[in-house]
Amino acid sequence: MTKHLWDRLAEAKSRLAPVQSKYRVLFEDPNAPDEPAKVLVPDPNFMAAALAGNVLPAIDTYLRDRNVPDGQPKEHPYAEPIGAMSEEEAIEYLVQKDIDPAVWRDYQGNRTIMKIVPVEMIPSDRSFRNAWRIMQ
Amino acid sequence: MSTLNVSNITDGTTSVGTGYVVNGSAKAWVNFRGSDTFGIDNSFGVSSCDDDGVGDYSVNVTSAFSTDGFSSTSSCQGDSSNDNRGCCTDNNGTSETRVNTFICTSGAASDSAEVHVTIHGDLA
Repeated sequence: MTKHLWDRLAEAKSRLAPVQSKYRVLFEDPNAPDEPAKVLVPDPNFMAAALAGNVLPAIDTYLRDRNVPDGQPKEHPYAEPIGAMSEEEAIEYLVQKDIDPAVWRDYQGNRTIMKIVPVEMIPSDRSFRNAWRIMQ
Repeated sequence: MSTLNVSNITDGTTSVGTGYVVNGSAKAWVNFRGSDTFGIDNSFGVSSCDDDGVGDYSVNVTSAFSTDGFSSTSSCQGDSSNDNRGCCTDNNGTSETRVNTFICTSGAASDSAEVHVTIHGDLA
């Protein structure tokens, strides 16, 4: 029987060195146009598990679980783990898992509201952080 | 990896059910830098963190909770201005908690040099 995802994560953390991703995901919420651009930072232990393989479930299981009501059994904790991903595939996986589909799937406007960028492109000066927008 | 299948743990005098140990363990935790270059220093059970704006962050967990009624707690560290920082959390769905940090004296949103979040609850 497949172990619970949490157990697999604990085992993975004990044997894998964290991996700092060279990517960040910039995105804007189309339902909150006045809010600043957000920056998604991949977790180093998550990246290590994704690159090693045999820890994380298929992304489809998370997407189906979005529609499962609270308190009902979810599919992803006991789903069969998938194999190793490249760093780029892991970022795509994170986009689908952690960003609202309204951003990456449903948006039909003309603005670019999501970009995957190298970490060097994120400003370190946060003086005007709440004015950050994605350059068009 | 070996598995101990026991219902109680004892030190010879007092005992505790393993259910208390398992349920009482943090299911996810993270330590991240909320100022300068936002980044994650260490964690467990977290898939990503979002920098949503000044003093506004989100933590996404890899293994979702059964309901949005999980318990997330946070603490944070100020910066060189010596203003004390406060923080609060707000669960958003079964796999995300939002963290806000602010200056205690004014309540104004403010970045925190270091933010720590620990999450307990029932996993899905």
